[in-house]
Amino acid sequence: MAKRIDERGTPVPPEDGPTEPVVEVSSLTKRFGEVVAVDDLTFSLRPGTVTGFLGPNGAGKTTTLRLLLGLAEPDAGEALAFGHRYRELDDPALRVGAVLESSDLHPGRSGRDHLRVLALAAEIPSSRVEEMLALVELEAVADRRVKTYSLGMRQRLALAGALLGDPQLLVLDEPANGLDPAGVHWLRRFLRRFAGKGRTVLVSSHMLAEAAQTVDQVVIIDRGRLVATGRLDELIEPGRTLEDVYLGLTGGGS
Amino acid sequence: MKAFLRAELLKQRSTRTGLGLFTAMLGLVLLAVLLHSLLPAEDLTNAHTQLMVFGRGEFLGALFAALLGALSITAEIRHGTIRPTFLVTPRRGRVIAAKVVTSVMIGAGFGLIAGGVAAAVGTAALRARGIEVLLDEGDYALLVLGAAVAAALWAAIGVGVGALVRHQVPALIGICAWLLFVEGLLAGDLVGLGDVGRFLPGAAALAISGQEPGTLLAPAVGALLLALYAAAAALAGSLATSRRDVP
Repeated sequence: MAKRIDERGTPVPPEDGPTEPVVEVSSLTKRFGEVVAVDDLTFSLRPGTVTGFLGPNGAGKTTTLRLLLGLAEPDAGEALAFGHRYRELDDPALRVGAVLESSDLHPGRSGRDHLRVLALAAEIPSSRVEEMLALVELEAVADRRVKTYSLGMRQRLALAGALLGDPQLLVLDEPANGLDPAGVHWLRRFLRRFAGKGRTVLVSSHMLAEAAQTVDQVVIIDRGRLVATGRLDELIEPGRTLEDVYLGLTGGGS
Repeated sequence: MKAFLRAELLKQRSTRTGLGLFTAMLGLVLLAVLLHSLLPAEDLTNAHTQLMVFGRGEFLGALFAALLGALSITAEIRHGTIRPTFLVTPRRGRVIAAKVVTSVMIGAGFGLIAGGVAAAVGTAALRARGIEVLLDEGDYALLVLGAAVAAALWAAIGVGVGALVRHQVPALIGICAWLLFVEGLLAGDLVGLGDVGRFLPGAAALAISGQEPGTLLAPAVGALLLALYAAAAALAGSLATSRRDVP
């Protein structure tokens, strides 16, 4: 097998070889007062995979992603990206792209200016802003203020912001919310292509049927605890669906 | 640092918030100065009152600069853009520092224009009524430059307050209430802080433009004291932002 090289010159390891995890979550715990939002959670992600991060509302998915992205501090354990705490990464925008569930856009700012602000702060050339606008097909509305955008357009703009730095790891919180069927189809193909280049995706979702078509493996949590993790083809027995497995594990089906 | 500054400047330029604040400030400066210049002529024939009337520009410049500074962080928290901001720049102290520098620069511009407009319009209004203006060039220079310095430093206080309070409405109401109301009560006869009142940050701002000499601090002392308040507020806001979880 020929050794693959990505555009940065870093060798991309073969899929089954021993590789350093891109994301390493170990014994991660976060409490809000009496509530344990994330409870001794451990999992890791290898490069070139799309991982679905599944669980009921309030299971701690968003909190886990916030801990991984350095927006919140854990009470115990750690969440590392590329072997470092996020806040200690050099040039994080060039390594990790993320979109959280809330769209996180200023309604009075244009889509293009939203991306230009991020590009300036990350010292990314402005040509990249135009490339990303083209990628998410927002060129025609780029100078309109975000308040005039549909939910799907906002999601695509936020995704463009996450991709500005051409990251190796993409973290998405419920990205399919507000996307129409064509948008969902586009996102699925995009994520597969992204992972096909040896990059890594962690995507939280409620949409199990959609997730089953997009992801290679899942991490399922409930009440902050890990309940299952593994490749889809290992977890799902023939004749059953991801939904069956999920509802069985999270106590939602009976 | 330059990259963060350019990003912060673009944030300011790319919404209408700054222009809205500037327009509101200018309107209130004109209103305040013109209304005061309608006082009975015998009340306006002393330099002390003329300084007070023209000094409304400085007060409003400082108030709106503080609101601008607070909004630079609370608007990001309100709309969630604080998250992409800190994802790109996880060293949060640098973001707050860039907000302080940007707000100080724009705040200085607010103060310069508010102070200049108040002095010019006030002078024209008094002259139109045939009232002699008793201020010299030094007084004018202090009114305009003092307004710029006071507004610049209050902009930094605004960033600190915004970073500490985080919620937009309480932060803005808090700043307005302090400058328009609370400080006056504390310094006034009611609470009886008396001499201590001149060391409060609103009084220090007025001192910079040479208001009420003898009662307030000397301009240079006022500027130094307000700079200490600004540094303390910015530092507290920066530390709190670095240590607390992002909303």
